Amino acid sequence: MLEVNKLSVRMQKQNLLEDISFQLNRGETLCIIGESGSGKTTLLRTLLGLIPMSQGSVMLESQVYQSPEQSQIGLPSTQIVMQDPIAALNPRQKIKCSIAESLYKLSLQAAEIDQAVKQALRDVELPEGMENRYPSQISLGQAQRVCIARAIVAKPGILFFDEPLSALDAIIQKQIAQLLYRLKKQNALSYIFVTHDLGFARHYADKILLLNNGKVEEYRDVNLFFQRPESRYGQELLEAAYILGSLPQKKTEEFRVA
Amino acid sequence: MTLNNFIRLALIKTASLILVLLGVSFLTFLLYYYAPGDKALAIANARYIGEGSASAELVEQIRLETGIDRPFLVQFYYWAQDIVQLDFGVSLVSQEPVSEIFVSQLQETLELAILSLVIGMSLAIPLSMISVWKPKSFIDRFAIALSSVGAAIPSYWLGLIFIFVFAAKLQLLPAYGSGSLAHLILPASTLGLWVLTSQTRLIRSFLLEASAAPFLETLKIRGVGPKELFCRHIVRHAFVPFITMLGLDLAFLLEGAVIVEVVFARGGVGSLLVHSVMSRDFPIIQCIVIFSAVTYVTINSAVEIFQWFINPVSLQR
Amino acid sequence: MVHQPCILTEIMSYFMSVFAFRNLVLPVQTKTLLKKHSIILLVFGFFAGLVFLGFFMTPYNPVETNFLNRLGSPSWQNWFGTDQMGRDIATRILYGAGWSVGLALIVSTAGAVIGTIIGLLAGSLGRLVDGFCMRMTDSFFAFPELIAAIVITGVLGPNTINMVIALILVSWMRFARLVRALTEDIKRRDYVIQAKLNKIPYYLVLSRHYLPNIILSVVVIWTSSWSRTILSISGLSFLGFGVQPPQAEWGAMLLDGKPYMLSAPHVMIFPGLAVLITVLTLNLMGDHLRDHLQALEK
Repeated sequence: MLEVNKLSVRMQKQNLLEDISFQLNRGETLCIIGESGSGKTTLLRTLLGLIPMSQGSVMLESQVYQSPEQSQIGLPSTQIVMQDPIAALNPRQKIKCSIAESLYKLSLQAAEIDQAVKQALRDVELPEGMENRYPSQISLGQAQRVCIARAIVAKPGILFFDEPLSALDAIIQKQIAQLLYRLKKQNALSYIFVTHDLGFARHYADKILLLNNGKVEEYRDVNLFFQRPESRYGQELLEAAYILGSLPQKKTEEFRVA
Repeated sequence: MTLNNFIRLALIKTASLILVLLGVSFLTFLLYYYAPGDKALAIANARYIGEGSASAELVEQIRLETGIDRPFLVQFYYWAQDIVQLDFGVSLVSQEPVSEIFVSQLQETLELAILSLVIGMSLAIPLSMISVWKPKSFIDRFAIALSSVGAAIPSYWLGLIFIFVFAAKLQLLPAYGSGSLAHLILPASTLGLWVLTSQTRLIRSFLLEASAAPFLETLKIRGVGPKELFCRHIVRHAFVPFITMLGLDLAFLLEGAVIVEVVFARGGVGSLLVHSVMSRDFPIIQCIVIFSAVTYVTINSAVEIFQWFINPVSLQR
Repeated sequence: MVHQPCILTEIMSYFMSVFAFRNLVLPVQTKTLLKKHSIILLVFGFFAGLVFLGFFMTPYNPVETNFLNRLGSPSWQNWFGTDQMGRDIATRILYGAGWSVGLALIVSTAGAVIGTIIGLLAGSLGRLVDGFCMRMTDSFFAFPELIAAIVITGVLGPNTINMVIALILVSWMRFARLVRALTEDIKRRDYVIQAKLNKIPYYLVLSRHYLPNIILSVVVIWTSSWSRTILSISGLSFLGFGVQPPQAEWGAMLLDGKPYMLSAPHVMIFPGLAVLITVLTLNLMGDHLRDHLQALEK
């Protein structure tokens, strides 16, 4: 459903992204990995339309977006969950208002919005009555759930995640990962994760996109990548991760408990 | 931080400085242009003061001579041309060149400003340092009380109180006029108290901020004594913001001088301004306004450049 | 109930929330708030009550002259004495509170509104708008406040309205600078980016994301601007550029009483004390408010 074709971004005579191509089908999960400065976040922001693209095209559900002007608007039916849930919520806005913002472009009736917000909060397993609180009155994990609720409330096709777990504690990380998996199965969502947590990528992704210096080093199925990376950079990366112990030798299905 | 970057930033700063100066002169001219009343008539009346109301012919002649009926931008152009050459014209009242009047009055204001700065600073620096060095001591409480009460005292009232106590009741010092050092003491103390209170407040907050800096913890663990910590690190750290504020305060001393000069019936730029505004002597008003604005802008830029040298990090913003 | 926003309901609900001080007391309970700042609130309430009662209790007229009782010393009839025209100074000070405090309130509020609008536009729109607004702010800022106010009132003609105009013209820049800095910071926050992605229109982003997050800092500056303006107003009136005698403004009273100050010092002591106490109280209120907000941020 999403097809990125030879996308390049140039800013101030610097190539930030060069010839990025990949595809994502409905229900698939893509993990974009790479070190900081490799262009992961730039790619994400370009797809969201925050950074204009210089060349290439993006096709979403057989609609093609080519010019920078079009890409500035952002792709419809996409939503994003950011890294720091507290920074992503306006501290002076009630949670229900934050969530309702995603519904703005649909021009719904007040009762419908109310209904959708309540349903979204139920979907992310937040207790009743949470919608009337302010971000300072809830925990970090709850705040991230609110951000997810805000992302799914408008029923998008694709969800972007910018390091959604790295600000959280391990137990909450696991809970959120399980929640995301269940939501994906329920709504047939496609996910694009930006992460540098190789372990998470291994357990969670269907495909891996490895970026280095704004170029695609590798774009492959997750199992193939972790068994035998093709590029030198990929090999080095995995080697380092094994030595540090940050990447387990085996894949577990623990995250994928619905 | 490359030299190239530095030059680029300096160019941007200069460009914005020029824009601000243009804005300043434009605003000044705007005020003159939209001032109510017939300016030609005012000039005629001021010039030929003994001959009653000026004749219509004369007014017409002045109108032609000064170009008052020309379009706005044309007038602004000629006006700005004179200003750039520092030609402010002649006073409407005394017919003397404005720059001469101004320079002679500036000296008196500078005397007052410098003396009050010395009085204020020589008290403010030790006071605020002791206040931070020994928190919750008597001096600390005194400094806090002084800075909050001092900020609320109207300086003209303080001046009147000084005159009442020291000149009228105790008869120690002369109240009005200028000339000798004795004449300068009361006005300078009035303005100095303002410097003292505002600076105590500022220096104290800079020192407090510096003493909360995280790197001090490391120094403490390394065994640096409290005295050395305070004298070498905290004071040095508070120095940069202090210089910044001092520069800006210098510009605002002129403001304080206006009221003090009027209260003590002294000469100086401040009382010159008030008298010129009263008699609508536009050339002098323009000269003072532009002088104070340019002084402020220049000091501001100088402080900024000084900061670049001291702290290159601030360049990156 | 979450409503589909429209400009009108947005504005209404916004003002309601501001007036309810919802934002101000949010995580802290109102009781602890009152307890923590009780002294300054009591002092403020005391003076406010005094002025309020005084208006109704005083038997004198602030501008009516009574030459039989010129320059009378403080007594039981005239608590602060009488001035050179036999008017009761205490009454004049009470009415002067209306001039100084009320006019200063108008000036600082107008300055806050203008400055906030310009700062918001500069901070949230593109670089061109920002450059224009900030160079304009710098140009206005270059004139020392009092000097600019004297010149503007003097040129336009010394009276109360011109003084108010002049003071508004010199007071908005402080707000513009602060608001612009805060807005620039908020512009980069994730929630504003999210709002942009959700195609929330600009006016809603302003009213929901920018304004609620800057309004408290504006209030702090607003209190300090208020007390500064009181000093400026009485200073201008003292120089003869502001409120004109016989109106009972504190600075104008000092100007009036100056020639008689040696024989009857009370004509100048009490108006000055009134300025001092008012400004001090307001400053302290502002300090408390700032402390409270800093505690809120943490």
